Amino acid sequence: MLLFKDLIWFFKQEKKSYGIGILVLVCVALINLFPPYAVRVIVDGASKGNLTREILLKWSLLLLGAGFIAYGLRYIWRLLIFGASSRLGRLLRKQLFEHFTRLSPQFYQEHRTGDLMAHATNDIQAIEMTAGMGVLTLVDSLTTGSLVIFSMAFFISWKLTLLTLLPMPLMAWSTSHYGTMLHKRFYKAQAAFSDLNDKVLENISGVRVVKAFGEEEAENEAFRLLSAEVVKKNIAVAKVDALFDPTIQLIIGISFFLAIAFGAKEVVNEKLTFGQLTQFTIYLGQFIWPMLAFGWLFNILERGRASYDRVNMLLKVKYEVLECEGAKDEVPDGQVVFEMASFTYPGTHLPVLDKINIAVNQGHTLGIVGKTGSGKTTLFRLLMREFDLAEGDIQIGGLSIYDLKLGALRAAIGYVPQDNFLFSTTIAENIAFGKPEAKLEEIKAVADLAAIHEDILQFLDAYGTLVGDRGVTLSGGQKQRISIARALLLQPEILILDDSLSAVDAKTEKAILQGLKEKRSQKTTLISSHRLSAIEHADLIIVLHNGQITERGSHSDLMAIEGWYASTYRSQQLESLIEEGGE
Amino acid sequence: MVIRRLLNYLRPHYKALSVASVILLLATFADVIGPILVKVFLDRHLMPRSFDSKDLMLLGGGYLGLHILSVGLHYYQLVSFNQIALKVIQQLRVDVFNHVQRLGLVVFDKTPTGALVSRITNDTEAVKELFVGVLATLVQNLVFLMGIFIAMFSLDVRLATFFLVLLPVILGLMYMYRRLSTKVYRIMRKELSLLNAKLNESIQGMTIVQAMRQEKRFRQEFDVINSAYYRASINNIRLESLFVRPAVELIYTFALVLILDFFGFQSLKGPIQIGVLYAFINYLDRFFEPVNMMMQRLSQVQQSLVAAERVFELLDDDRMAPRTLRDTEPPAIRNGQIEFKEVSFSYDDLSGAGIDVLKKISFIAYPGQTVALVGHTGSGKSTVANLLMRFYPVSRGEILIDGVTLSEFPDQELRSRVGLVAQEPFLFVGDIIQNITLSRTTVTKNDVEEAASFVQADEFIRKLPQGFEEPIGERGATLSSGQRQLICFARTMAIKPKILVLDEATASVDTETEEAIQTALEKMRQGRTTIAIAHRLSTIQDADLILVLHNGRIVERGTHTELLIKEGLYHKMFMMQQGTMGGG
Repeated sequence: MLLFKDLIWFFKQEKKSYGIGILVLVCVALINLFPPYAVRVIVDGASKGNLTREILLKWSLLLLGAGFIAYGLRYIWRLLIFGASSRLGRLLRKQLFEHFTRLSPQFYQEHRTGDLMAHATNDIQAIEMTAGMGVLTLVDSLTTGSLVIFSMAFFISWKLTLLTLLPMPLMAWSTSHYGTMLHKRFYKAQAAFSDLNDKVLENISGVRVVKAFGEEEAENEAFRLLSAEVVKKNIAVAKVDALFDPTIQLIIGISFFLAIAFGAKEVVNEKLTFGQLTQFTIYLGQFIWPMLAFGWLFNILERGRASYDRVNMLLKVKYEVLECEGAKDEVPDGQVVFEMASFTYPGTHLPVLDKINIAVNQGHTLGIVGKTGSGKTTLFRLLMREFDLAEGDIQIGGLSIYDLKLGALRAAIGYVPQDNFLFSTTIAENIAFGKPEAKLEEIKAVADLAAIHEDILQFLDAYGTLVGDRGVTLSGGQKQRISIARALLLQPEILILDDSLSAVDAKTEKAILQGLKEKRSQKTTLISSHRLSAIEHADLIIVLHNGQITERGSHSDLMAIEGWYASTYRSQQLESLIEEGGE
Repeated sequence: MVIRRLLNYLRPHYKALSVASVILLLATFADVIGPILVKVFLDRHLMPRSFDSKDLMLLGGGYLGLHILSVGLHYYQLVSFNQIALKVIQQLRVDVFNHVQRLGLVVFDKTPTGALVSRITNDTEAVKELFVGVLATLVQNLVFLMGIFIAMFSLDVRLATFFLVLLPVILGLMYMYRRLSTKVYRIMRKELSLLNAKLNESIQGMTIVQAMRQEKRFRQEFDVINSAYYRASINNIRLESLFVRPAVELIYTFALVLILDFFGFQSLKGPIQIGVLYAFINYLDRFFEPVNMMMQRLSQVQQSLVAAERVFELLDDDRMAPRTLRDTEPPAIRNGQIEFKEVSFSYDDLSGAGIDVLKKISFIAYPGQTVALVGHTGSGKSTVANLLMRFYPVSRGEILIDGVTLSEFPDQELRSRVGLVAQEPFLFVGDIIQNITLSRTTVTKNDVEEAASFVQADEFIRKLPQGFEEPIGERGATLSSGQRQLICFARTMAIKPKILVLDEATASVDTETEEAIQTALEKMRQGRTTIAIAHRLSTIQDADLILVLHNGRIVERGTHTELLIKEGLYHKMFMMQQGTMGGG
């Protein structure tokens, strides 16, 4: 019931839907009392033989009228109450999504997509259920239940009512009990299914090993056992699930028996008419649902509660990246200065960057090289404020990035990440991602600059080709180049290529770099790369090793030092020679 | 077609199915007879006021007895039908899984892992809904409705005939609902999957969305989809409200009026059997719940059928793994001589023309020799291993082991004589012993320990808290990659293969394990014909023959020294690696 209290804000917001819906629901419950009464009148009339054509016609018409009105009212409350619960779902999804758009990259690093999806889908569905079915079962079981009892007790016989209702609480109790049991067993069945799923996943990902060792039969056997386990657990579920109907039948049957047996005595004693007895048994039938619903209600609420807590917890996560007061909202120019002592990722102990001092003038190119894990990407992430520095400062255009509005900072930077994430729309829309209003001509121009234009023309629908499952499967290099075009379209003051030429062949890389040099001569470019050919033209090259700058200078400076840069450069030259077949 | 194939799966269960059906009939009979007993009581005893206690006891006892019997039988049949449905699905699952085991690697290369997994688990789960829904709900409710009709006919043929008029009305309602709901439901499912896709994609690409300041646009786009889904849900609510429970309640009212008027008008002419009237009203009360239940199942059926279609599509995939061609006198691998004769291969061989990744490869590895394959990524060296392992069928050229064509060896022989060490160490969930033994019954505990000590894995294994029984988590995450590699070595060596196919690991491991791995590899190669795919030239300098591959051709061949003297591609590669070693 606590959950209803938590949702009170929503009920208030939808007070019209819920108010009228519940009112209509009560009306339907009232109308439902009528047909059994009509039956009584006609049955009594028929058994006594004092019916007339007029009476029959009148009651028939009344019954049909009530039926049609009830039909209309039932439609209305469903639409009102279930409609409102759908709106709650829509609202929560909207809130959650907006919240998602504000959460920091760090948050996304710490949470798995699957879990976040589960909250946004299953949990919201469970809450929706509470606001719809939950409200219905509560209101309906209370109103129908009490109205039916009231009618039976006051209009027919309170003694008979008491007697026949005796077994009913047992029904509410047992269905609620079964519900809990079912939930537990269902959980186990889900776990068994998930084991099965894991096994299949293991088998398919290890298919080469399975085949190499001739393990097919053993795998079949293991799968057979696991699937037998799934069957076993599901049969355990079915065994509880199958209890519901027979239990209800049993209890109802006993109630009916009591009603007929003791009702008959009352009829003989002329305290009841036979029509009343018939009316009574129909009421008894109407009482089944409220009892069932009541048992069910607790299960709905229990699940809704847990889901609501999870969604709420998610909504309470802070945004982490904050703007300071009086932050400037102007896009700075492309001069970049790093002046930092050290940086450690939150929740870890080892610093990933240490004593980094770099200054890049506007229009210059900075090259960063180093092994995986040397801190190249971290440097960029700090610049984009995906994480904040505890000490030291990073400046763009002479301003600390912490004195800039997040929007202004992001507007200054065009970032091409290592892992290229493309959206499942057309290629044109992917390139125009940051500037949806861009003209096709502009898009083509940047695609050409990123050396992907020719590739795109090869696709069936050229720029209109869909990316992803429903469209074309792009190679890693093609994805990289589309990401580059996507960043270029924004004409950012600072372009960051985070090892984003790794899957592009040497010739294309050269073409792209040449194009950048021409088109972006006045703008700053930051490039990190494993392949030194991508940065050898840079104005300043720094070599990162375990978070520290070990070498710095221009290409010729670094070759002269004869350190890591020079030896790596030579070996890579040789490597590319080998890839070309050594000719 | 799909339905017929699904029904075929019921065949082995016909016994259980007949028993369950008989029980269902009995339960329904006992269930339906109740109101008739009440009718007897009303017409013979209550109305004439003749209460013979013996008769009454019989009636009351009979009523309660039958009721309890029916409840018990109903429970039994509900469980049985579910059991049958679950077993049918298990069979279907096992069939798909077994089929997938026999499929060629080409299928795995071209189908995303997730899709295959989904076929075997989620799609069959959807088919389960169909069986449970159809068997458990549809059949039971239909039988129950038939029972009610039979009881009605036995009570009053004329009224029961009137009642038959209801059938077309109900069927018409069901038909209309099904037609409309398939459409509405499909739209709702579609909107939901769009919603989920958008959500999923937005969460995955949120960093980009934020970096490019498109949050507002994404919020708007999400709003549009969210609202579309909301509208679809509302349409669904509308449709269900118009056609399901409220409509069925309305039909109930009509039926009630029909019964009342029938008896009412009869009473104008003379006395009526009040018990029959009571029984009819009673039946009417229970007539419509089954109708509601059946209607609710309808919209699921279509979805399950689509899933079933996908499952059968996979079952019909006939791109099978290469298997032995003849069964008579299976040849054995005794010496382990390997010969490649002008082997060309394209991964698209099965579907038609493609780019050849191997072009007329010929070489001989004599028993006990090591032949090393070197070349850059994409030169085709892994393909040589894939073909020797018979992962793909050889269509052009020939591979011979001890002079016999590869395709003539039975699987069993090939898998027990040719050992593979894959690049990525793959471990199964289980403990270390299980991972070394696998399912091979010939491998004893002694063999396991021997193999482990042979590859020098025993040292670190014994240091683990539970030694050889140490459980391995998912993909062996608890172990270092070097340790995983050593366990895989032991797995390969446990059966002492004649031929070894080594795909050298590229993953960097700590220096200590690296040394252990190199020593182990050297020991493993001794006395075995070895085809080694080398990424680091330093590890194969002592090979008897080194083949340098470039774009699918052998461009240089010879021993280490011979190749160095040539000063060709191998020489350049060697220089490069020397350089990297020095500098890194």
